[in-house]
Order: sequence, then structure tokens, then C-alpha cells
Amino acid sequence: MAYGFQVLIDALSLGSFYALAALGIGLLFGVLRLINFAHGDFITIGAYALIVPSAATQATLLIGGFHPLFLIPSIVGIVIVVALISEFAVFRPLRNASPATLMIGSFALGYIMQNLVIMIFGGRPKAVGLWSDLNLGVQIIEGVQVPQLQLIIISVTLALMVLLVVFLKRTKYGVHMRAAAEDFRMARMLGVQANRVIMLAVAISGMLASAVSLLFVVQTGILDFRMGVPLMLFAFIATVIGGMGSLVGAVVGGFTVGAVSILLQTFLPSELRVFRDVFVFAFVILVLVLRPQGLVVSRSAKERV
Amino acid sequence: MLLEVDNLHAHYGRLTALRGVSLTVAEGEIASIVGPNGAGKSTTLLSISSVLTPTTGTITFAGKTINGLSPEAVAALGVSQVPEGRHIFATLSVEENLLVGAAIRKDTAAITKDRERVFELFPILAERRKQSAGKLSGGEQQMLAIGRALMTNPRFMTIDEPSLGLAPRIVDRVYDVLLELRASRGLTLLIVEQSSERALRSADKIYVLRNGEIQLSGAASDLRDGEAVHAAYFGFSEGQEGKVDF
Repeated sequence: MAYGFQVLIDALSLGSFYALAALGIGLLFGVLRLINFAHGDFITIGAYALIVPSAATQATLLIGGFHPLFLIPSIVGIVIVVALISEFAVFRPLRNASPATLMIGSFALGYIMQNLVIMIFGGRPKAVGLWSDLNLGVQIIEGVQVPQLQLIIISVTLALMVLLVVFLKRTKYGVHMRAAAEDFRMARMLGVQANRVIMLAVAISGMLASAVSLLFVVQTGILDFRMGVPLMLFAFIATVIGGMGSLVGAVVGGFTVGAVSILLQTFLPSELRVFRDVFVFAFVILVLVLRPQGLVVSRSAKERV
Repeated sequence: MLLEVDNLHAHYGRLTALRGVSLTVAEGEIASIVGPNGAGKSTTLLSISSVLTPTTGTITFAGKTINGLSPEAVAALGVSQVPEGRHIFATLSVEENLLVGAAIRKDTAAITKDRERVFELFPILAERRKQSAGKLSGGEQQMLAIGRALMTNPRFMTIDEPSLGLAPRIVDRVYDVLLELRASRGLTLLIVEQSSERALRSADKIYVLRNGEIQLSGAASDLRDGEAVHAAYFGFSEGQEGKVDF
């Protein structure tokens, strides 16, 4: 029972990372039809923004040393600015390009950002201790200790999802964004400002990335210029098996991939555990064979009569 | 003239869609473009809304050249479109669809008032206001598309094949509403139809478009017997035998 509970919390917290990253990818896919492979690098930049920019092997906290009330908005702001710069410098000039061109553009952008990180911070991983106390365990029910951080990750993710839903359902610009995601041309013919909607989606996507930056750094305590890449990859897989173009699908996919990873981690025989990702990807292929349209079919992706 | 389209040419890749289309619509007028499939009717309307960029030619609205503007800028000037296939936001509720129609407007009181007017015009939409628009029937979707276009508070509205796929009774209702809108608020309309009979009955002015060219134009009252329209529509030359019912 206690063991099962621990596995559940592990699955939910890993799934949270994937779901948050998948939402960031899904939002941009909705309005831009762009699969943003640089999303993981937004996460990386948010993490590196915590320390003094230098190639020294020892990381010195800069923004990371501030009070959380200042630290969190700073990191969120920095990632949003980076995301908006990407929009102006890369995505907007490619606005009328094919989705494949856009995707390759985002790959290039990702590589540029990784190399900028190497140039400024050096290529070696660095240890950072940000709010490491949060990794201490807390007892939630009799006999079950889980790191406080996991509960924070899950709550932050839930809170951000609720906020996103409220924004999309209850605000004017949220409704415009949903309309644009479904039929961009029609939304524009009704006067919805294309660039404004896209910039808003890019900014929200950056905000979601920065949340992953912070939570992930606290959990791992390590900065690496490739740290965002596996997160992006799993989040991308999450959006695909969840159903491209559906935000609910992105969340469902994120938690599914997280749960499958943790279950395999827990129940695979130890000699196979190192190959866990092979099994994760086998599961992904299985889902795609059985449900090529994804777990949640986006109504906007369906053919309409 | 409220709308002047002058010598419009348009291409899709190597395919020529329009070869020098010119037309005018005066304030308060109902003009209609009729023509067979592939004549360039939708291309003309999409060019007016600036969704498509014509190769050459100018489009002037209320004295201002509008081609080259963004679609949202054209909408902000008071040009609204009900496109072919209606393009309802299926995942949004009826109310939300109408809200998107008010995207360019700030005055919430006026927006709410206009929404109530749309609901008066189409009571069925009021009943279904919370429902997702994808669940509406074809006729209801057409009403929603018109209602949504009205929410932009347009001076000029283009409608692409309002009768497509609808039962005759619903089509009558749609046309009643369009005529009423012209009468009550002086809305200027440009309606595209495949059937010329409906157009001849409701429009003031008819343009027959075929192969990307205007074949015939004139006051609907002068064309009422339909012979000339038939000939232009099918491309029969003068005096050639051609009896086709449509």
C-alpha cells in the first residue's frame, strides 16, 4: 500500500513535467501548426538563468540566490522574453512556410540556443543547489514518506492547468486563441489579431517552460546544456500519443508517458531497467498502431462537413 | 461606391482563377455574383477579405484601397464575410462563436446588445447558446455564421453560397433575414450563389462570373427573364440553342 502510493506520486510528478512541457508544445502547435523543438531549450535557458553567466566550473547563484518572490518572476520573465525573441526572429519570418520548414527552423533555433549556452556557460554540467531542502521527505500518510518537492511539482502543475483552462474558457483572449487554433483564417476574417494571439501563445508557452526549468533544477540539482532535450522529446511523444492539436490530449499523454516510465522503472527486472526507455518507446509505438489519431481526438483536427 | 473591385487577377500557383474581374457595390445595395463551380466566385470574396492576395488589381472600400491589408484590418474597416462552408468554430459554444465575431470591438454594452439582436433574429441560437457549435445542424450553423459576421458590426457583408446544402425552407429564412438586415440597418451585401434564380429574385444587381471573367452584369430587373443570364452562365453564344433548366 505504502509502496503503491509512492509509485503513484512518482508517476504523477514525472508525468507533471511531461504534461507541462507538452502543454507548452501543444499551445504553439494549436495556433502556429509549429512543433517547437526548441521548447526544451527554453527550459534549459530558464535553468541557466539562475546562475552567474560564466564558464567557471563552479556555478555561482545569481538570480537563483534571490528571494523566491523575486526569483520566480525573474526566471518566468526571462524565458518569456527568450520565447518572444524566437517568435520575432524565427517563427514570424517563417509564418507562411510549410509546417516542415517551421519544424526545422525550430530545430535550428534549439541548436543555436544550446550552443549559446555552451559559449557562455561552458559545456560541462554544473551542480546548483536551489531550494534543496524541498527534496526532504514529508510524511503524508502513515508510513509513507515522499519528497516535499514531488507534492509541489504536482500542485504547481495542477494549478497551472487550472489557470490555463480559466484563461482559455473564461477570457476574451482565451476564446480568441481557441478560435484561432481551430480555424486561423476564419478568426482573422472576424478581426482576431493574428500576431497578438500568437505572441500570447508564445508567452504562455514560455511561462510553462520556465515552471519546468525551476522544478526540474530543484529536483535534479544539475545544469546541462542538453537538459531540456529529453524533456522535449518525451513531451513531444506525449502530445503525439495524446492527440496532436488537443491540449487535453497533451496532458493525458504527458501523464501517460510519465506513468508508463515509472511503472517500468518499478516493475522491470533490474537487468532490463537500464533499457527502460526502449520499453517506453515500444509502448508509444503500440499506442500509435492501435490509435493513430491519439488518445484524445481533437475535434478541430477532424474533417468537418 | 462602397466597394470597387478593379481588374482583379488571381492565381493559385500556375492556375489562373481570376482574369480581370471588376465589380462595384453601392451603399445599401444587394449585389450577387452567380456562376458555375470553379468560376472564381470564392476567390473574389476571399480577395476582398484580403485572405488571398491577388496578382494585380485594386480593391477599394469606402474610398480606401484595402488589398494588401491584413484580413483583420479589413474586418476592422467593416467588411465581414460568411465564407463557403461556414467555418463555424465547432469546438466553441454558440456564444463563444459570437464573441469571436466581436473581436475588433471594445464597447461591451454594444456587443451584448448586438448579441441579443442576433438571438432575436435566430431564436434557435439563443436556445443553444451554451452548446458547442459543432453540434448544430447545417441550417443552424449557417445562421450562426451570419450572426457571427453581424457581430463585427459590418457595413458590408459578403456571403458565399448561403443556400448550399440547406433545405429550401431554411434558405428562405436565411434570405428573409438578409433582406431584413438591409432594410433595418442599411447593410450592403454581396452574395455569391450557384443558382441564378435565387439571386435574380433577391439582388439589385447581378454579375455572372465564368472562367474567372465577368460575362454579364446588370440590374436584376433588366435580367429578370433569365435568358441572358443562362447564356452567360453556360457560355452559349448569341442565338445558339440552349434550353437548360436549373
